[in-house]
Amino acid sequence: MNAKDVRKVIVACDAGMGSSVMLAATLRKQLKGLPVEVEHTPVDAIPADADVVLTHAGLAARARAAAPGKLVIPFQIFLGDPAVTRLVDTLKKGGDLGA
Amino acid sequence: MREVLEARAVLLNEHAATREEAVERCGRLLVEIGAAAEPYIASMLERERSISTYVGEQVAIPHGLNREAVLRDAVCVVRFPGGVDWEGERVSLCVGIAARGDGHVALLAELAEILLYPERARALREAVDVETVLKELA
Repeated sequence: MNAKDVRKVIVACDAGMGSSVMLAATLRKQLKGLPVEVEHTPVDAIPADADVVLTHAGLAARARAAAPGKLVIPFQIFLGDPAVTRLVDTLKKGGDLGA
Repeated sequence: MREVLEARAVLLNEHAATREEAVERCGRLLVEIGAAAEPYIASMLERERSISTYVGEQVAIPHGLNREAVLRDAVCVVRFPGGVDWEGERVSLCVGIAARGDGHVALLAELAEILLYPERARALREAVDVETVLKELA
């Protein structure tokens, strides 16, 4: 998927209550000015129009099962995870995001 | 409407020998202030065991998975000055969450912002009065 085609990024966690809320807030700020929406949802309720799904590594399998065919990017840490930083950079500068 | 974070939901001088004790303290407090029903505490422990809620800067955000046990959106802040071992990380501040709606989102967004700045994060986790905590997270 190419960065320019991304309109909606979902941050998914198990309850959609804690960590995903925080990461979504940070991302929204970092992606300000881009035509990209950021939402947080429980991993079992990823919306059909999601382009990219960010989720904790421990939930990646569930996210892939819940949202087949979508680009799922797992992360390990909530602050400064390289996978998240890379996603933000690519969305800003353009380029390919991977499968 | 009630505030998501009330002064009585801030405890600044708690001790916990283990991560479980710390999570339980947060859960107990959420029950005490009427934000969650008893079963929520077990759910918080379960969630913590499956995936740590450590978010960085010595802060963890314990929360449960069973929204049915949540009575209203609320957050508690519990400080452990002696630190708690969190699977190898040191945690000195817990922000416990009980939410069934979006009432807590603004506060968590503010927390996320604070944690991006080590100085602000330190000010929050070293706060010695309730007012400072309420002001930082407002």
